[in-house]
Amino acid sequence: MTRPWSILAGSLLLSVSTAPALVSAAQSPGESQVAALLAPSPDIEAIRAFGPAVLPVLAALYGRSDAARRTRIAWTLYSLGWKSEEAKRVLMRDVHTDDTDLRLQVQWALGRVSNDPDVVETLVDNMCNDGNPLFRDKAACALANDQIHLTEDQKLRLFQGLVDALRDDKLQVRQIALKALQIQTGQTKSFDPAAPAQAREAALQEWTRWLDTYRSHL
Amino acid sequence: MARHLPLAPLATGALAAVLTLAASPSNGAAEGPVSPVASSTLVTYSFDDDTLAAGPDTFAVFEKAKGRVHLSSAFRYSGYRSVEIRDVAGDGNFPELQGYFPLRDSGTLYAHFALLVADPGEQLNIALAGPEWFSMKKGGIAFWLQTRGGWLCQYSDSIPMRLIQVRPFAWYLVDLAYDVTAGTYDLAIREEGRSDPLVALKTQPNAFNEPGSPVDKFSFIGDNGHDTSNVDYFVDDIVLTVDRPIPMAPFVAPGRRKLFLDTWNDGLTSLRSKPSCLPAIDLADFGLGTDAIEALKRDGLLPVLEDLIDGRPARISDRGSPASVRALQSVLLWKGGCGALLSGDADTALERFSKAKEILPGGTLFETSAVLSLAALGRWNEVDVRLAGLDAAWKDDPRLPLLLATIGLARADLDSAERPLRASAARVADDPRLECALVALSKDLDLPLVDRVRSRFPADWRSCLDAALLPEEYYHVLLARRSYSDAGRYAARMASRLGSMNLPTAPWVEKMGDAAFLEKDYTRALARYQESAGRGRPGTALMLKLSDVHYLLGDFEKERSYREAIYGSLHEERDHPPDRNLKGGSPEGSAEEETDADHP
Repeated sequence: MTRPWSILAGSLLLSVSTAPALVSAAQSPGESQVAALLAPSPDIEAIRAFGPAVLPVLAALYGRSDAARRTRIAWTLYSLGWKSEEAKRVLMRDVHTDDTDLRLQVQWALGRVSNDPDVVETLVDNMCNDGNPLFRDKAACALANDQIHLTEDQKLRLFQGLVDALRDDKLQVRQIALKALQIQTGQTKSFDPAAPAQAREAALQEWTRWLDTYRSHL
Repeated sequence: MARHLPLAPLATGALAAVLTLAASPSNGAAEGPVSPVASSTLVTYSFDDDTLAAGPDTFAVFEKAKGRVHLSSAFRYSGYRSVEIRDVAGDGNFPELQGYFPLRDSGTLYAHFALLVADPGEQLNIALAGPEWFSMKKGGIAFWLQTRGGWLCQYSDSIPMRLIQVRPFAWYLVDLAYDVTAGTYDLAIREEGRSDPLVALKTQPNAFNEPGSPVDKFSFIGDNGHDTSNVDYFVDDIVLTVDRPIPMAPFVAPGRRKLFLDTWNDGLTSLRSKPSCLPAIDLADFGLGTDAIEALKRDGLLPVLEDLIDGRPARISDRGSPASVRALQSVLLWKGGCGALLSGDADTALERFSKAKEILPGGTLFETSAVLSLAALGRWNEVDVRLAGLDAAWKDDPRLPLLLATIGLARADLDSAERPLRASAARVADDPRLECALVALSKDLDLPLVDRVRSRFPADWRSCLDAALLPEEYYHVLLARRSYSDAGRYAARMASRLGSMNLPTAPWVEKMGDAAFLEKDYTRALARYQESAGRGRPGTALMLKLSDVHYLLGDFEKERSYREAIYGSLHEERDHPPDRNLKGGSPEGSAEEETDADHP
């Protein structure tokens, strides 16, 4: 027998406040202690056992690490899924890096450490305007799957950004924005990213109406 | 609301009568099919009687961590009990009452239940869903209620919409009329003691605005996977009805309208009767000769091709020589055709196999797959003509018996399915080569494995592959022909052969049990099932077969133990078992009584 509701556990349809407070925090760990758990690959469960007190330590380590360790720390922050202002601050420094591994981990981690509006704005901007199609695609993935702390108001802004991106000149951007919307809402409203602009307009109007309805229920 | 549902008294007496009747072994499916009775009531639970049997046609209870689903007399809307669902945040799981009813893919489904929440600030979720479970697509969630920050909300058109602020410890009566075809519903919510509805909505788009989204299950849980809820709530008087009566088979045993073994066996028959692609065992299957393979090597594309064939993720590019690109294109088409065939779209499959064959005309596997598509489409004249052509090309191929058997099964010609398998399958049961037995157990016949077999037994590698391809098919064909004794003997020979090599025998011992069960020798079936269970952690299917066989032997306590090990149970809190996990999955240990009847 499966636990079918768990299919939705990763969905962003619902507002979540994954609570670090639920974790029984132990004593504040030392940097060397945490650093030892990051190599060769992060021991997530051991790091999680420190509780939220580990977050400032990880952020501080991040600021003094090379790209490889920053990548591992970003992955760790992603895995923990705990909100952290310090973590968001250091991750945002690398949100435009050209280092592929680091960029992907940072884009994925941001929505799992923060629900600040500039996180979604930056990811939407990367999705639409980054010169590298891979980074654009993975920014869309992050918007689709990893914005776990958003309130309903913030979610509306995310949807607005994705619907706006359906008007982008680049086919790939329209495709990935639609995919993110589909993951978030289960719907496409029959929008065909590859159709001529005129043909896309009707479905765009549907999405716009849907946004208005969503807004009216906040 | 399109229709008012009677609230009380509920038809608990009818349910009790059905389950009581089902408690008699003489009513079992083993005595033959019982005619369905037309009914417009799919589900009715008031939780007051003591015959609430969990099962695939009633409900399941999940209490995997600290959360609980209990019968409770603390609060009830009618009668003297309700169900209490209590979640515990941070315990790693969520409790659930999940109910099942016949699939509704048209017409109107009416649902009614009473709900009382102790702390509306905590999250709960209630849903109606279909075969795609609780997913955000057609066939997934159709109707969804959730509490959020003290509000009861509905999800309609993917939008959470507040309905009412929930008062703690107040009973709310929810009435839903879901028009499956339109994908819309009417919703009314009343509070106990008030005549005017708090909510009276018409023609709401379903959860994800999917017209035609079918439903076959309901669910009551705490939070939906984020593990943050400490909700405690009560549900009573669940009633599901339909606008037009539908045939409903009677219960043949507690919680099921069909014995578990019959359900399992029917599923297997359906699966095996559906033609699907045969495995590739050589690149020559795709018409790739030495030159083409060399070209692929030179282009660095041979590993990509092998990944494609074996279903591993592969990155396709259009670089490479025209010959290499053709090879990749044809195999891609073949894989796509196999996927289509598996999903029941034989027309698309045939089209893809034909295109693949156009690109690489020497690919016999393309032709074989096309023949299987034709069989799936029932175009038997074409099957016969093209099969004759294949017969020569595949004369010595170990897959030919399997191809013929598959076609025989699809044609429901069981003699022609059994005949080609008989000799080879018998040889497998006597094959002393350990390596070949290991091939059979690997369950993963890919090109590297075939190469290893070929290098180990260069003179007779084909018969070694028989071990992987034929025994289960042969056994199944024997069951399909109702040759249960032969099937049991064959399973015993296979078990004996594997046992003599110190290899796992439990699956074949279980098959011996299945054959005995179908022969209505329940005592022998029980012995074999117990023996199989004692040789490893029994899977769900085996547990449920044990439940069936105990039921048919009149041991209702063990029937219940095995069934509830899978489906859980509804009980009062004071009766909650200290450890619901049965040791080793078997309520009665690992008795290995010996009977000789099915030994070779």
